[in-house]
Amino acid sequence: MDFSFTKKEEKFRTELRTWLETNLPEGWLEGKRDLPEDLDEYSAYLRAWQRTLYDGGWAAIAWPKEYGGRDASLMEEIIYHQEMVRVKAPPLINYIGIHMVGPTLIDMGTEEQKEKYLKKILTGEEIWCQGYSEPSAGSDLTALKTRAVKDGDRWLINGQKVWTSFGHVADKCFLLTRTSTVPEKKHRGITVFLIDMDQPGVETLPIIQMDGHKDFNEVYLTDAVATDADIVGQVDSGWHVLIALMLHERTGIGAELFTLEKQFNDTVTLAQQYKVNGQPLIHNPLIRQKMAGFYARVRGSLLNYYRNLTTTVKNGQPGPESSIDKLVVSELNKELSSFAVEIQGHQGLLWDKDAAVDSKWQRLFLASFGQTIGGGTSEVQRNTIGERVLGLPKDMGR
Amino acid sequence: MDFSLTEDQEMFRGQIRKMLDKFGGTQVAREMIADKPESLKKVYSTLAELGCSGINIPEEYDGLDLEALDLVPTFEELGRSLVPGLFMETNALVVPIIKKYGTDEQKKNYLTAIAAGDKQVSFAALEPFNDFSRQGIQCSLAKKDGQYVLNGTKILVPEAELADAFLLVVRTSEDVEDGLSLVLIDAVDELNIERQLSFDEAKHVAKIECNQLVITEEQIIGEVNKGWEQLQEGLLYFNAALSSYMVGAMEHVVHMAAEYAKIREQFGQPIGRFQAVKHSIVDMKVHLEIARSLSYYANWVVDTEENDREAAVYSARTYATEKFIEAASQNIQLHGGIGFTEELDCHLYVKRARYYDQYLGSTPFYQEKVVASLGW
Ligand SMILES: Cc1cc2nc3c(=O)[nH]c(=O)nc-3n(C[C@H](O)[C@H](O)[C@H](O)COP(=O)(O)OP(=O)(O)OC[C@H]3O[C@@H](n4cnc5c(N)ncnc54)[C@H](O)[C@@H]3O)c2cc1C
Repeated sequence: MDFSFTKKEEKFRTELRTWLETNLPEGWLEGKRDLPEDLDEYSAYLRAWQRTLYDGGWAAIAWPKEYGGRDASLMEEIIYHQEMVRVKAPPLINYIGIHMVGPTLIDMGTEEQKEKYLKKILTGEEIWCQGYSEPSAGSDLTALKTRAVKDGDRWLINGQKVWTSFGHVADKCFLLTRTSTVPEKKHRGITVFLIDMDQPGVETLPIIQMDGHKDFNEVYLTDAVATDADIVGQVDSGWHVLIALMLHERTGIGAELFTLEKQFNDTVTLAQQYKVNGQPLIHNPLIRQKMAGFYARVRGSLLNYYRNLTTTVKNGQPGPESSIDKLVVSELNKELSSFAVEIQGHQGLLWDKDAAVDSKWQRLFLASFGQTIGGGTSEVQRNTIGERVLGLPKDMGR
Repeated sequence: MDFSLTEDQEMFRGQIRKMLDKFGGTQVAREMIADKPESLKKVYSTLAELGCSGINIPEEYDGLDLEALDLVPTFEELGRSLVPGLFMETNALVVPIIKKYGTDEQKKNYLTAIAAGDKQVSFAALEPFNDFSRQGIQCSLAKKDGQYVLNGTKILVPEAELADAFLLVVRTSEDVEDGLSLVLIDAVDELNIERQLSFDEAKHVAKIECNQLVITEEQIIGEVNKGWEQLQEGLLYFNAALSSYMVGAMEHVVHMAAEYAKIREQFGQPIGRFQAVKHSIVDMKVHLEIARSLSYYANWVVDTEENDREAAVYSARTYATEKFIEAASQNIQLHGGIGFTEELDCHLYVKRARYYDQYLGSTPFYQEKVVASLGW
């Protein structure tokens, strides 16, 4: 057992840290971290940040060097996330391009697709979204109905996507469509297209979330156009492409865990500063017990992640047990942010600039509900763990 | 970074498992319920033959000079089969204390014998109507006419009938800050030992009454009046080990639940297909893996000087106790009627979970230690 980082890894950390100190947006480290409210300004701001990352060689460290990455090891990716969380770096507007679409294209895209898209993913010139969910296809993605039909030398796509994150800022969409309605199994007959969001056949309508944000969208496809050259993999075998894509997103949970750890540490500070009956809250025995409980769970989740990571490093791929991490971090996040609001008593009910301490707690509480739904609900995660890890019988209908 | 047990450690686990399977797994615990300690004694001598009892003992005392982490596979496997006995008290409490605070003479006497499997030591700390705190120790060791005399009662002393020696926590002063001392007693025949009925019948406990018992200076470990502090050091190792034991037990509970859910059919299908069943086993599994990660780390950190040494060990203990009793209880529910019977092992795990949940401090007790050690 060894929790140290190698010299090379430490050097990597220092290099990144130094780079961040000089390249983060003006005033960022001092706490000036407000993002523009206006959508166009917001998008321009984050694209600029992505461009800065690119110029510094920090946009997609896990990609191979020949495609503009650094061939970073898993551990270097972990360090990268740790450092980004440490300085609360601006969000990565092209997260989907960098962590999912790019690696998938490197893996299974045609030369032409690589040529056309990879560089623009890195620079932030083209932002990507993923169009999977539909009004009647959520947990059961195989129920998707959006149709792609060959029409001469092009494909015409009709249907509706929903909950499409980044859809309102995206230039491109990694789109799941149905190309055959008579497959022997429902996950056959699905094809992945890389389509332009900026075309007459695509209409994007933002959805207001429960936290007031508009981060996801409805996307209406009416004779949207694509060509054979826009297909990833083979026609009717999009399901394999989707699975490959999911495997490429190898350290996203790590980033979430580091953020969770930071939030927990902030909760401790909160409980130390906040007074009840003239006494810091953290002196209250019940609060102490709860804090100890959270401490064990936060540490336990992190350690468990490291244990799964070790397996991945040793075997070259994650074991089925790593499916536990997503469930654990999203559920814990929900409980922890609820606790952080709860301990503020009636003052916790104040919002935004009137918030007693910092309205980030109320925001986190609201945002946490999305985490146990997006990327596969907790119930679906439990099905997966039960079936893949414990070998329990499959859910009905699967 | 590498957060896993080594191949050697995993191989060693395989050996212990095979050995315990030969003894019939929980059969050893069941024989203890019937008051037959013969199998348990054999298990102990086999463990010694395999080298387990010398794992964390220095080479000069015929041990293997390895670390707490190397004991993890053994403890997990013992937990899996709910093997009672004094292996944990001996190797994870008494050995670290003697290593750290013992005189050369004490080390020679005890460590060599323990490594050889010739000495098992039980732990006598708890007292009637007192909690497990410094103030709760009232058994008094008083110096009189140049010799020490011990008076008082200890309860819940584990497997006293198997013990070749006892480690006692006693009061040597009412005035100074710590005021306690640690004492080793070899002359077990001179002690007044009486079995107590245990809620977990597979885990034997006894009451020891000391009446004007004479203790020599050589029997005291470490500094007089510093016993509580020194004990805490030993308890770090003990609790790290205990968390591994519970992880092993929990692993078996999850295994029982999952396997039963695959074969038991109702409404024309295996019950494991019902999500109320499936998801509850998944939650058990998730908790098990988190507990395992905490316990591995605890057993690693205990041999280091990391800042979170105490917090990590006590977190591992609280988390494991909490989740073990939860899983063991749910396991009964998932078995339905047969789970409520004496015949199945389900209840043995609940009883052991209850035992450790309340042994040497409760969950809130250790949670407070976590928070205090972090300076909050
Ligand atoms: C913040 C956020 C961002 C998102 N971003 C995107 C995106 O960028 N692109 C995209 O395509 N989608 C996105 N989604 C959609 C997300 O993938 C779906 O919401 C999710 O898969 C669940 O589908 P659903 O909403 O249709 O719920 P449903 O599938 O209808 O589920 C409703 C309830 O039924 C339960 N349920 C369903 N099936 C089962 C089962 N077999 N067993 C037990 N319980 C079951 C669910 O767990 C849930 O509690 C996002 C969602 C959120 C919240």
